[in-house]
Amino acid sequence: MIKVSNLTKTFQSGDNIVTAVSSISFEVPDGQFASIIGKSGSGKSTLLSLLGALDKPTEGSIEIGGKDIARLGERALVGYRCKKIGFVFQGYNLIPNLSALENVMLPQSFNGISSHERKARAVELLDQVGISDDKQLRKPGRLSGGEQQRVAIARALANRPELILADEPTGNLDSETGKMIFDLLHSLSRSQRTTIIVVTHDLSIAGKTDESFRLQDGKLISKK
Amino acid sequence: MNTFILGVRNAFRNTIRSVSLMVILGLSIGLCLVMLIARQAVSQKITEVKQSVGNTITIAPAGFSDFSQANNALTGSQLSKIANLTHITNLSENLTDRVTTIGSPAPTFGKFGSNDTSTVNSTTSLTSPITLDTSGTSTGGGMRLFIRDGGSLPANFSLPISVLGTTTPLTVGGETVSLSSGSTIDGTKDTNNALISTDMATKNNLKVGATFTAYGTTFTVAGIFANSTKISGNTLVMALPTLQRLTGQSDVVTSAVATVDSLDDLASTTNTVKSTLGSNADIQSSQDEANSAVQPLQNVASISLLGLIGAVIAGSVIILLTMVMIVRERRREIGILKAIGASNLRVVLQFMSEAVTLTVAGAVIGVLIGIAGGNPVTNMLVSSSTDSATSTSATTKPGGFGGTFSTGQPRTMAAFGTRPTGSFFRRSGIGLANSVQNITTNIGWSILAYGLAAALAIAVIGSACAGWMIARVKPYEVMRAE
Repeated sequence: MIKVSNLTKTFQSGDNIVTAVSSISFEVPDGQFASIIGKSGSGKSTLLSLLGALDKPTEGSIEIGGKDIARLGERALVGYRCKKIGFVFQGYNLIPNLSALENVMLPQSFNGISSHERKARAVELLDQVGISDDKQLRKPGRLSGGEQQRVAIARALANRPELILADEPTGNLDSETGKMIFDLLHSLSRSQRTTIIVVTHDLSIAGKTDESFRLQDGKLISKK
Repeated sequence: MNTFILGVRNAFRNTIRSVSLMVILGLSIGLCLVMLIARQAVSQKITEVKQSVGNTITIAPAGFSDFSQANNALTGSQLSKIANLTHITNLSENLTDRVTTIGSPAPTFGKFGSNDTSTVNSTTSLTSPITLDTSGTSTGGGMRLFIRDGGSLPANFSLPISVLGTTTPLTVGGETVSLSSGSTIDGTKDTNNALISTDMATKNNLKVGATFTAYGTTFTVAGIFANSTKISGNTLVMALPTLQRLTGQSDVVTSAVATVDSLDDLASTTNTVKSTLGSNADIQSSQDEANSAVQPLQNVASISLLGLIGAVIAGSVIILLTMVMIVRERRREIGILKAIGASNLRVVLQFMSEAVTLTVAGAVIGVLIGIAGGNPVTNMLVSSSTDSATSTSATTKPGGFGGTFSTGQPRTMAAFGTRPTGSFFRRSGIGLANSVQNITTNIGWSILAYGLAAALAIAVIGSACAGWMIARVKPYEVMRAE
């Protein structure tokens, strides 16, 4: 269960204080596929970075599995990101000089998993997301956008996280490939019972998720 | 993926940049090694020279030199005070003169820096083993007699022979000689026995027990010593009292060498000798002489140290700027690595291993440069440094006239001054000056270890700033910038 309570994040911008996220509260049960929608600048990405422990809130709490990650120290946060969270980015963000297989193995090495286990897990995940054996050894530059995003999803799943945060995962893909990626995330949330929160402005995708939260000017204005 | 392997692979991510960087680092590390090699070789030489000169004090009349000989010779009674000083274990007293071969024109020798001249009027039946042509050049080259106004030598001219009256007959020209036959003479007793060189014996067909004349006196060859140079080969050695009697210079001494019991007491004993003789004498300890001789090497050591520091700084700046550039370029990648669970330390180690890989590859190139350049650069530094010292020494003395003998090197000029024992300073100086130029460089494990340590220092210093920058990269800022 993810429980967000009165979450606020403000930034100093020159002489002004900008409130990117304002007193947001919501809950997402385990294994749910949720979406956060909103216009550009509505605070979606800021909320995602707070959920992913990449930034600390100004106020409020984020409880994941009963633990408030807003109060964790730096070392604990690194461990949290490594073991509990998987990120999928709009621009894929794979490491360019590593093969698809090595990209999926990388987060596991941060988790202290042995080389043999890393490789077996990476092959399994890449098979699961539909990357063929020959493409597993290719570097990202020699894969299509859809293939790169599938590799990114496999990388996000590598450490068996409780939560996957996807920031516009279909934003750089054509509609057909985007639908394929969405279906993949959806099936993973079912098969692996992983909680997935997707930030998107694609209403058709948001409509297919279990829950959907709409943000406007940093405030949660509706919930489906 | 192992952090270290990831760093190594990243080092070769951009081939052109990596190779360029390795070459630049290689040059920097190579310069470090060359400077280390030069410094080590020079330091070793300085130690050798200082150890080789021993613990002696050279005493000469004040203002005495072959170029400007003061007429204020020391006396035996003055020097007897020195012999009785604490820590003095031996005192060698010397008087020198020249004799002309019977039948040869007597040359007039000029004195540099003055208009004084002296003519070699005393004669001997001996003939110098050094043969000169009419231009004054010795057979086989290497020595030349400068002739006033550029004239030529008479056909029957024979080079005058140096005469050394000494209390230590087996020390000739500041160097210890060994006898090839016969026995030595007692330098303190007035006898008509003498030592001659092997060159002199061969030239004059003399053996131990044979006789010759000098100063109108018949001498017996008591021993024949092996000469190491042409100069010492042209020297006739007799007891100090004998030469004092023959030249009418009773009790006169033109140079002395005192031996001190230990190197630790050398400085204090030198001061005692100076205070005992006052302004009558110029005193120089062997360590002063060594210090003077190795001064050019000290300069080279300083230059090489500065070069080493400069090269380390240059290498550090290169790797620092490169790593800063790489970190800035890969800011997003660093953010992603942190987002997917990498700690600051892990990312810093990855970039450090990248820097170390680049530096070690540069070090390999640097070692090759060091091996190739160490010896020539050291020799060039030493040669230019000692040449400039020699040139300075030569230009401070005005040109002379008359017959001044030369080995072709400015510092050996006037080796046949009327009081040649004054050349003890200079002769040993020549030996040291020549010695300091003979430098051999060695590239041992210690040098390589120093080189590697310098390379690692460069990598660590260069990575430090990059590490600080990495720690400041905030993943959420990277994500927001998307």
